[in-house]
Amino acid sequence: MSHPALSPEATATTIRAAVRSGAVRATAVAEAALARIQATHEKVNAFTTVTAERALQEAAAVDTAIAAGRDPGPLAGVPYSVKNLFDLAGTTTLAGSKVMSASAPATRDATAVARLKASGALCLGAVNMGEFAYDFVTENVFSGPTRNPRDLTRSAGGSSGGSAASVTAGLVPLSLGTDTNGSIRVPSSFCGIWGLKPTYGRLSRAGAFPFVASLDHIGPFARSVEDLALAYDLLQGADPLDPVCTSRAPEPATADLESLPTGLRIGLLDGYFATGGDTRVHAAAEAVAQALGAVRRIELPDAGLARSAAFLITASEGGQLHFERLRKQAADFEPIIRDRLLAGALQPAAWYLQAQRFRALWREKIHAIFRDVDVLIAPATPVPATVLGQEKMMLNGTEQLVRPNLGVFTQPLSFIGLPVVAAPTQNAVGSLPIGVQLIGAPWAEASLLRVARHLEKSGLCAAPAAVIA
Amino acid sequence: MKINDPDLIAQLTVWHDAYEKALATNDVATLSQFFWDTPHTVRFGLFEQTYGADAINEFRKASPPAFTERRIVRREICTFGSDFATIMCDAVVVVAGEPRPNRQSQSLVNIPGKGWRIVAAHVSAPLQPNPPWGPYSEYAARNLKLSIHPSHQAGVTTNLARTAAIAAPLMALNLPDAAEPAATFSA
Repeated sequence: MSHPALSPEATATTIRAAVRSGAVRATAVAEAALARIQATHEKVNAFTTVTAERALQEAAAVDTAIAAGRDPGPLAGVPYSVKNLFDLAGTTTLAGSKVMSASAPATRDATAVARLKASGALCLGAVNMGEFAYDFVTENVFSGPTRNPRDLTRSAGGSSGGSAASVTAGLVPLSLGTDTNGSIRVPSSFCGIWGLKPTYGRLSRAGAFPFVASLDHIGPFARSVEDLALAYDLLQGADPLDPVCTSRAPEPATADLESLPTGLRIGLLDGYFATGGDTRVHAAAEAVAQALGAVRRIELPDAGLARSAAFLITASEGGQLHFERLRKQAADFEPIIRDRLLAGALQPAAWYLQAQRFRALWREKIHAIFRDVDVLIAPATPVPATVLGQEKMMLNGTEQLVRPNLGVFTQPLSFIGLPVVAAPTQNAVGSLPIGVQLIGAPWAEASLLRVARHLEKSGLCAAPAAVIA
Repeated sequence: MKINDPDLIAQLTVWHDAYEKALATNDVATLSQFFWDTPHTVRFGLFEQTYGADAINEFRKASPPAFTERRIVRREICTFGSDFATIMCDAVVVVAGEPRPNRQSQSLVNIPGKGWRIVAAHVSAPLQPNPPWGPYSEYAARNLKLSIHPSHQAGVTTNLARTAAIAAPLMALNLPDAAEPAATFSA
């Protein structure tokens, strides 16, 4: 029997312990991951580039360090994937688009990748995403749809769909994604795994292809809270290459992970967040609230307007970002994305600035609510994983378009940069999982992760691997 | 001076049908035959002013019409004596699936030895109280030198209309002047 660290269920914590103790060689971990990726690729379509040579070199460096008695790093031998908008030195950064396919390879790693590498982790490659991250389903026209490992007929969510699928299928225990309007939390919910969208400005975005500068975040995916916290801690730290990245000192989450903070005030979001989804989705959020003893119900006034404002900022900044590419390569974009970006590029400035001014006011209003509460709870998506190609869904008895509406519960929160952990509840709607958002005040990630760990220990939230035969 | 000579009107009706046919197919060589071939000929389009027959031909070669269909709603031909006429058309053009009103004014002179020629023309569109997003996006794109392929125009228009509906309740808010519009902020 092979070592548990080589199995698809292995967590980063298991793997690093086995590698650091010398029980398993990092090279064997890399080889096992490469074999899993190859064996399942046709079914899942998570990876767009497998960096086998790089992973094996990084593994050899870890093995050499261990043999020489040096510290191989806190993530020694842990395989991970990155959404294909993260720069990997020597690889073309696709950002999910044919438009970028002829670009020169990146000359250096993104900051987040460099930090994982410095921790001894092994980069297995770049994974699929919705084009230019303007998406919630990862049904990419250029590289094909990524399939949900829990049900291969369904979407893995988006836009970080490849990240979530690669972790869910047990190809890797960790992945890096990005979240502008819900692109970490939607795939976490669809795939039923843990995802962290940190506070806006907490983690460096340098070397991650942008989408909406005002709203872009990066964050990790994992199958255990300990892994999520571990990755998050190693990604923290100031970075002059990202003008938005905070200079506050890192606030590690792993140290106190096992205990729930005392006197935590927890509330279930009501109103906007308690309606509009499948009733079983709202029941999942209520179950989490109950498990945490949350009795209060709290409303975020004008959440619908916050979502509208996020929509306007996204269209405008996204369209402006791609202006030159829309001029020169309009035919290479996916039609849906191109039309949205073109419309965004032409949108009146009055809409955009009104949205930004509303954001400043709304942030103050919501910060005031956090004076009386520490954690808020809401569903991550209005429905479980949609079927690939599905265009419409029933919400509250009315038929709605899938693609523009999957972010209904995530958008208002990223709009003002609040940190959120997406906590997976399994078998929430039939056999499908649903993610529940644990929402905190700015910079409260460590507390949220302790709440997440508590839910994991209680058994209510879990993210078992869905191993593809 | 005889006004609206029936023979001339019949002759100009056939003449103008041929003109419309050449326009529909953007047959530049044929279209150029309808214009007075001098530097004095002027044509004003929806977005462009062209002075002289050469400039008119150059423009046509560079910019095929965006419409997929053109229908004359009403045509008024008026003749003044045997050598001067006006043709005024109220038309509908279909651009990216969207019908739009269009107007065309032409002044014609019966040039000795050549026949009827357009000496001045002007295409215009009526201003609409609530302009649809199609003309807005075309105009904005043109000014930003962001050319939108005609086949992409309908999708852009749909998205702008959808976004306008999303923006409406936000735009209805009267925010205080002190509300900060800076794009980047700290959470």
